[in-house]
Amino acid sequence: MNVPGRAALELRAVRKVYPGNVCALDGVDIELVPGEIHALCGENGAGKTTLVEIAAGELRPTSGSVHAIGNVGLVHQHFELIGRLHVWENVVLGFEPRRGVRLDAEAARARVRALSQSYGLELDPDALVEDLPVGIAQRVELVRELARDPAVLIFDEPTAVLAPAEIASFFATVRALAARGAAVLIVTHKLGEIVAYAERATVLRAGKVVARFGKGQIELDAIARAMVGGEIPALAERVVTALGMGLVARDLEAGQGAHALRSASFEVRRGEILAIAGVEGNGQSVLADAIAGVVPSVGSLELEGTPLQGGARERIARGVRTIPGDRQREGLIVSWSLVENAVLGDQDRPPVRKGIAIDRVAAGRRAREIVERFDVRTTSIRTTVATLSGGNQQKLVVGRALAGAPRLLLAYQPTRGIDVGAAALVQSSLIAARNAGAAVLLISFELDEILALADRIAVIYRGMLSATMLRDAFDRGTIGALMAGAQRAS
Amino acid sequence: MRTAAIGGVVLLALAASAMELAGANPLLGFYALLRGALGGPHQIAETLVQTTSLLFPSLAVALAFRAGFFNIGAEGQLVIGGLLAGLLGARLHLPGIAGLPLVLSAGALGGALWGGIAGALRARFGGNEVVATLMLNVIAALLANYLVVGPLHSPGAVGPETAELAPSLWLPTIAPGTRLTVAMPLGLLVAAGVALLLSHTVFGYELRASGANPQAARRAGIDQQWIALAAMLLSGGIAGLGGATIVTGVLHRFNVALSPGYGFIAIAVALVGELDPLRVVFAAFAFGILQSGSLTMQALAHVPKDVVTVIEGLIILALSARRFAPSAGRLRADERTG
Repeated sequence: MNVPGRAALELRAVRKVYPGNVCALDGVDIELVPGEIHALCGENGAGKTTLVEIAAGELRPTSGSVHAIGNVGLVHQHFELIGRLHVWENVVLGFEPRRGVRLDAEAARARVRALSQSYGLELDPDALVEDLPVGIAQRVELVRELARDPAVLIFDEPTAVLAPAEIASFFATVRALAARGAAVLIVTHKLGEIVAYAERATVLRAGKVVARFGKGQIELDAIARAMVGGEIPALAERVVTALGMGLVARDLEAGQGAHALRSASFEVRRGEILAIAGVEGNGQSVLADAIAGVVPSVGSLELEGTPLQGGARERIARGVRTIPGDRQREGLIVSWSLVENAVLGDQDRPPVRKGIAIDRVAAGRRAREIVERFDVRTTSIRTTVATLSGGNQQKLVVGRALAGAPRLLLAYQPTRGIDVGAAALVQSSLIAARNAGAAVLLISFELDEILALADRIAVIYRGMLSATMLRDAFDRGTIGALMAGAQRAS
Repeated sequence: MRTAAIGGVVLLALAASAMELAGANPLLGFYALLRGALGGPHQIAETLVQTTSLLFPSLAVALAFRAGFFNIGAEGQLVIGGLLAGLLGARLHLPGIAGLPLVLSAGALGGALWGGIAGALRARFGGNEVVATLMLNVIAALLANYLVVGPLHSPGAVGPETAELAPSLWLPTIAPGTRLTVAMPLGLLVAAGVALLLSHTVFGYELRASGANPQAARRAGIDQQWIALAAMLLSGGIAGLGGATIVTGVLHRFNVALSPGYGFIAIAVALVGELDPLRVVFAAFAFGILQSGSLTMQALAHVPKDVVTVIEGLIILALSARRFAPSAGRLRADERTG
C-alpha cells in the first residue's frame, strides 16, 4: 500500500540525449502522487514520449534519477496486443500461471475475471482481441497492466482513438483507479480533457518543464500558451460566400472489410467546408481515397455537374487537391528537395511541364511561393524535406494543395501531429480556401477542429454517413452520440 | 565519408586475406592486378573495353532500380540483345553506315523485349520482378543456345555461336591495335542521356517518384503500371544495346559465352555508383580494373582469378550491410507523439 502524500514516482533532473546530440529531455523534475491524475502535455517533439518511456523503465536516461514505489504500468497509444490471441492470453502474457510445464488456462481465465470484476472493467476473457472495438482493446491493455498491481499507471494519448462517450467512461475508470491509490499520468494534447479531469498538469517544451499547474490552477488558455510559448494565432475570418455547385456524391461505396465505405451520399458546395466527424477506422480513409481516385468506387460522383472519373491524374486535372492523412508516406518524397516536392502532382501540366521537360525555374518559383506564403521554415528550398519538422512538412503539403487554386480540397486530418501554431495556420488556410470559393471536404477525428471549421457536419460510423447538420445546429452531444453509433433521432 | 574510408580498408584487408587463403602473396596479388589493368596503353585499353561492357548493363540496372523495379535480369537482356544483333549481323551484307545502326537497334530491341516481358508481368499482374527477371536470365541463356545450335545455326560455325559478322559491321576502333571501339563513347553518351532523362524530364521525374515513394506517386496521378513497363523497356533496351556492342565490337559474332556475368556484376556497379548514371561510369571503371586485371593476377601472382569474384561479393555484402543497418544518429520515439 502506498503512503498518502509521498510520491509514487519521482524523476529528478532527468536528461536524455539521443545519438547525434539530440537533447530530448533537459533536466526534468516530475513527481506523481498516489490518488492523483496528473496530465503531461506539450507539443510534438517536446519530449513527452521520451519522458514516459523513461518513467516506465523502457528507456534509460542519460543522467538523473528515477524512483518508483512498486510497479509502473504503461498503456501505449498503439496497443501492444496480439490480435490472434484471446483476451485472457493477452492479459497473462509474460507471467502465465503454470501447472507443471503447462499453461494453466483456467487459472488465467479466473485471474482475468477477478481483475475485471474488482475494477469494474467488463471483459470477456474468451473474446479474440482482433474482434474487439478499440475502446475494449484499450481495456484489455489496461487490465494487463493492472494484473501487475502497479503503483503508477501511465497512459500515452489514451483518448486519441475513442469516441466522446467512450472518453467519458475511460476517465470514470481512471478516476476510480486513482481513488484506489494509484498515481496516474496521462499524456495528452487535448486540453479540454486536462481541464475536465486532471488534478495537476505539467507542460513540456523543447525537453524542459515550462509550467506546472497545481490543484485548482488548471486553466485552458494558460496551458495552451505555455505549450506554444506565446499567443496562439487566431483563425482566419469566415466571410459570407456565394455557394456554388461543388462535389455531389450519391450512394458511394468503396473498399472492403471492416474499414469499408458502405454508403455515402452528400454534397460539398463551393464556398463551404463540409466536415466529416467520426472515430478513426470507420471508413473515412476509403472515402477520401475514393474521391481522390486512388481506390475504385461504385456510385456516382460529380464535380460541378460533370461526372468525376478516372484516376488521380484526371481528378487532379479537374482541380481536386488533397492533403493526405500521412504526409510522409502519402504526400511527400522526403528524400527529395522542397522544389521537387512542391510540384508533385503538377508535374504533368504547365507551368511545370514544358514539352517533355520539367521547368526547373517554374518549380523553384512555386517552391518559394509556398515557403513564403505558408511560413515553411527551412534553410533552403534545395534541402531535402526530411530535414523539415513535421509541422513544416505539413505546411508544405497544404501549401502545395492550395497553390493550384483548387476546385475541391480534400483535407484528411490536416493537423495531425503538428504543433498548435502550425495547426492554426493550416486551419486558417482551409478557411481561406473556402472563402476563395473552393469546396472543402474536411475529414477529422478531432471534434474541436470540426466545430471550429465546419459549415456543415456529417458523421461517419461503420462506413455509413449520417445526414448533415448546419453550423447553427451543431451540438456536441448529438455528434458524439452519432460517432459512437447511435441512430439519429428525428 | 569516414565510414566509406573504413569500409574500403576493411574490404582491402578481406581481399588480402582471400589471397592469403588462396596461398598467394597479397601484395604481389594487388600489384599484379593493377599492373594487368593499368600497366600500359594496351592494358588500359583492355580495361576500358571491360568498363564499356559493364557500363551498359549497369546503367540499365541503375535506371530500373531508380523506378523501384529490381531488375536482376540485365544479364538475360544483354544476352538476347547480343543474340538478335548476332543473328541479324551474320545475315546482313550492308555497308557499315546503314548496317551498324540496324544491328545495334536489333540488339536494343531484343533487350527491350526481354525487359518488357518482366515489366508487363508486373504492370499487368503485379508479378514479382525479381523472380521474373531472374528466371528470364535462365530462359535467355537456354534459348540463345538452342537457337544458335539448332534452328538458326550458321553454316560453318563450330561452337554455340553465329558466323562471323562482315567487317563492315564491326564497330570502328578508336585506339589502333586494341579492341577499344566507339562503344565506349556510345556508353558515355547513354550515361549522359540517362542522367538527363532522370533529372530534367517529366518522365524521369515520374519514374523517380515511383521508385522513391510509390504511394505518394500514385496520389500525384502517376501511372505506375506505365512507368514500370516503360522503365523496363528502356532498361532492357540499354542492356540489349550493350550486348550488341560486344557482338559488333569485341567478338564480331554472337557466342553464348559472350558475357562472363556482366549483367550480374552490373548490380554491384549500379549500387556502388549509388544509382547515379554519372557515378556509375566511375564505378564501372573500378570494376573494369578488377575484371581486366584478374588474369594477370592469376598468371603473375598465382592468385586464382576467382578471387576477383570474392572481392565483388564482398563489395555487395558491404553495400547491403550499409543499406540495412540502422543509420547512426537517427531520431527515435519523439517522432511519434512527442
